[in-house]
Amino acid sequence: MPYDWPGLINLILLLIDGTKIALKVFFLTLIFSLPLGLVTALGRMYGNRLIKGLMKFYILIMRGTPLILQLSFVYFAPYFLLPEGLRINFDRFVAAIIACSLNYAAYFAEIFRGGIESISQGQYEAAAVLGFSKRQTFMRIVLPQVVKRILPPVSNEIITLVKDTALVSTLGIAELYRLATGEASRVVSPIPFLIAGMIYLLWNWVVTEILLKAEKKLAYYK
Amino acid sequence: MEILSVENLYKSFDDNEVLHGISFKVREGEVVAVIGPSGSGKSTLLRCLNLLEKVDRGTVKVAGDTMVSTNDLGQVLYPPEGALKKIRLRLGMVFQNFNLFPHFSVMRNITEAPVIVGGKSQEEAEKTALELLEKMGLSDKANAYPYQLSGGQSQRVAIARALAMDPDILFFDEPTSALDPELTGEVLKVIRKLAAEQMTMVVVTHEMAFAQEVADRVIFMDKGQIIEEGDPGEILTNPSHERTKAFIKGLSDR
Repeated sequence: MPYDWPGLINLILLLIDGTKIALKVFFLTLIFSLPLGLVTALGRMYGNRLIKGLMKFYILIMRGTPLILQLSFVYFAPYFLLPEGLRINFDRFVAAIIACSLNYAAYFAEIFRGGIESISQGQYEAAAVLGFSKRQTFMRIVLPQVVKRILPPVSNEIITLVKDTALVSTLGIAELYRLATGEASRVVSPIPFLIAGMIYLLWNWVVTEILLKAEKKLAYYK
Repeated sequence: MEILSVENLYKSFDDNEVLHGISFKVREGEVVAVIGPSGSGKSTLLRCLNLLEKVDRGTVKVAGDTMVSTNDLGQVLYPPEGALKKIRLRLGMVFQNFNLFPHFSVMRNITEAPVIVGGKSQEEAEKTALELLEKMGLSDKANAYPYQLSGGQSQRVAIARALAMDPDILFFDEPTSALDPELTGEVLKVIRKLAAEQMTMVVVTHEMAFAQEVADRVIFMDKGQIIEEGDPGEILTNPSHERTKAFIKGLSDR
């Protein structure tokens, strides 16, 4: 057994540090991708032809290529594409947040679009004859109903995001998965993987419970 | 006093002309029933009158104010958004499928527009809503959600919601067509009550007995035109026009 008790505690403390960074990636990605997804969905649905086309193209790229490739591209592309002198180097963490947010926004956009399109025309008409403006109709009548309908598919994405935070390790960010890999090869033991797996599982269990609570809270109407 | 005047209204969807020169007037306190076969343009007429559709040609005035007009060049003119909104608020609408807001309680379904659009205070709006619910026989449903209501109850809430904006005229688009016969009665009872209070109403309906009993005037439409209009007893029992005769006969043969 390569770990004694103090060694095990040190390992856990190290992996908790990595978890903190993974949590940061998780929350920042959600904070940016949810609103961006809504804007993308609205542009995709109500924009002029140019905006519609752009949004469709953006969604195609983001859903059609691997996130791991997008991470590398966002990190390396500014350096290679910009002329010398203007070359900026993204901080790897910033690059990771940009790539994850752009990627998840595309998925959220399509979920939002499906949700918005599922609201019946009658709701818009009832709001219109009562004098609600387009904006009031969307914010007060449509969006609250959309939130309830899209919660299950959005929950799926959020659970996937927990696990996708591991992908930012490819940019050399010392998050949970990368630290576990490093420890496992250093000590030649599967135990770091086992503990990291338990942390991801615990994390997703909490996320699932919170999302189920939210669903229950919105169950007061049908 | 004339509260609604419609002149020479035309509306097409693509190549399909749905309204073909409709003209009629509604006086204050009058109840007008619009009848006719499916596809005759009745619902489209209501949708044009409450601004859910834009007309291709024609003039509509609401209590003297122009809601839409057509100039000599054939251009359709609607007033600017602000003026249009004022006119819209004088028109109430009750849909066939109720279209209640499922995420709002019955109370909020009724108060939301008066508060947000009409600028009423919450207390004032709730007071009006309770009065309306009492009138609809739904005092105990203020805190219910639409999914907990029967069709007849839903439609009565929808009527209360429309009345809460205090419209000058109330349009009904087949208000009982989505209801079981036994629930139809409770909705018709409410409309009867409103008629007794001199509420101006235009009701698209298939309920001939109701039209005969409540309406001051019946308009028979077919293929986008008004074939004849007049006293309900006259039109429904002794129509002068062949097409009306065929329609009425078809109904009684069922």
